[in-house]
Parts: sequence; C-alpha cells; structure tokens
Amino acid sequence: MKILKFKIISSTNEIAKKLAEKRKTEPWQVIAAEKQTSGYGRKKTAWFSPNGGLYFSVILPKSKIEDLQTLTILAAFIVAKVIKENFNLETFIKLPNDVMIMSNVKCQMSKPKKICGVLTENVISKEVKLSIMGIGLNTNIEKFPKDLEKRATSLKIELGREVDNEKILNQIVEEIRNQLKTISE
Amino acid sequence: MKIRIKDKVYEVEISDSGGERVKIKVGGKEFSFGEDKKEISVAKTVLPKRDFSKKEIKAPIAGIVSEIFVKEEDFIKKEQKTLVISAMKMENEIVSDFEGRIRKILVQKNQEVKEGDTLIVFQ
Repeated sequence: MKILKFKIISSTNEIAKKLAEKRKTEPWQVIAAEKQTSGYGRKKTAWFSPNGGLYFSVILPKSKIEDLQTLTILAAFIVAKVIKENFNLETFIKLPNDVMIMSNVKCQMSKPKKICGVLTENVISKEVKLSIMGIGLNTNIEKFPKDLEKRATSLKIELGREVDNEKILNQIVEEIRNQLKTISE
Repeated sequence: MKIRIKDKVYEVEISDSGGERVKIKVGGKEFSFGEDKKEISVAKTVLPKRDFSKKEIKAPIAGIVSEIFVKEEDFIKKEQKTLVISAMKMENEIVSDFEGRIRKILVQKNQEVKEGDTLIVFQ
C-alpha cells in the first residue's frame, strides 16, 4: 500500500484532489496526515483535526457512480467493524456516512457520540474522472472543545489508552479494496 | 465525381456559374472560385453546420445543487469546475466538457435535480 504521509496538511481530500489533477497519483494511493488545518466534511463543515487523530484519503479507481454511492455507505460499516473487532466497542452507523459509539464517559447514561466521518468527493464530466474517499477517525484525540465534547468522542477517551493509527488505516483500506472488488463485479 | 483524400471519399460537383467564376460543391458545401486581379480568390458560400445541441452540461447524478462556481456570461475553460451536486453524502464536482461562454444557468443553489436535467447552456 502506497501511503504519502504528511505531518501537517490543509486537508487530505484537498491535497489528494490536487495531486490527482496533476496526475501524480494512482488508484489506491493513500494520503495521510497527522494533523489537518482545514479538515472538512460535507458542505465544507469543519472537521476537528488535531494531532492524534487518523486522517486519510484514498484515491479510488474509476468506478460507476452507483458503485461509489454503495462504497461510501460500506466504508462507514467497514470502520464500525474494525472498531468493534479491535476494541470491542459498540458501534453503530448514522446513515449513510457517520460512525457513532455509545459513550459512557462522563455521562450518567450512555450517549451516542460521533467517532468517524466519511466524505467521498467525485469529479465528473461525462464520466467519473476522479473519486476520493476521505476518512476522519478520532483515534488518539485526548480532548474535544466544549462545543464538540457532547457530540464527539475518540478511541483514546473511550478505551483509556492509545491505539495504533497505522494498523487501523491498513485494515480499513484493505477492506475498502475488497468491498469495491465485490460490488463492481 | 468522387475524390478520395486519405480514407475519406468526397462527392465533388463542378459547375460554371457564368462569367469567369467556377462553383465547386464538396460534400454539400459550396465553394466559388474566380480570377480577380490575377489572384485566385476562394469564397465559401455555405457556412458549415454547427452543432449547438451538445453544448450544455447535464446532471450526471440526481441530488441537490450545493454550490455554483460560475455565472452567466462567464467564459469557462474545459475541465473548469462549474457546480457541486450533493447526493447520498457524496460531493460531486461537475466540470465542463467544453470551453465557451455560458448563456444560461438553469439551476439555483439548494435546488433538487434529476439525472439528465440540463444545468448549464453555452452560447
């Protein structure tokens, strides 16, 4: 797996798009960052991206739009599965692209909190020219700002320990590859 | 008569239009040749047919127009981004297939579009 790693970057999706437009990438190239200064989700809403989190984008091979829609939903399931299998945390999907977990931390009752978001961006003319899947997973984030802490959590907050970002990244990308192969056949 | 240039065959018709001018018809297009001041002049008498019907951008996917980057009368280049359609939580940047001036933008921000709807028409 080819991973282009950055210490700090504006947004992995933005840089992936720029590199792909200059034809400096190939399918399944991964662009990962330790920190994003302008991480974003849908409608350019900000994605909290300090050091510790896992932020990456995957250049997808040219596929049909229907397959990409399915893959976006599947990506959320894949992240949920990886979290469940590795850390035994109860995950669920807020369709179609957010992963939540039931958090007990600092709450008297468990509360659903967002742990991951998936944003697929396509560039289309008559056909799909470019597809990028961006994933932001709150792994080793210690603390969220006041306005987010009731809605967001991280694996570190839930588990009380650090996790291996690179291992998680590899598992997620491999699974996405397998799923795209299956739905495109 | 027929002439072949490379692999293409052209139907050619030569006629005398009176005076010192000669009309030559090649594949439906008419050219007129004459001798003016000892120089040969060539004048096209029929403009080539232009196909305007394809100069428009259609929605490749159903969704909501979430951003518009261009405006009417803008001259845009091929592959320039024109708008974004949000669908199934995917953001789809629609880039132009053409270079040209925009005559009409038929959609507005937050408007729902169906696959195949015309979004932008060029001049």
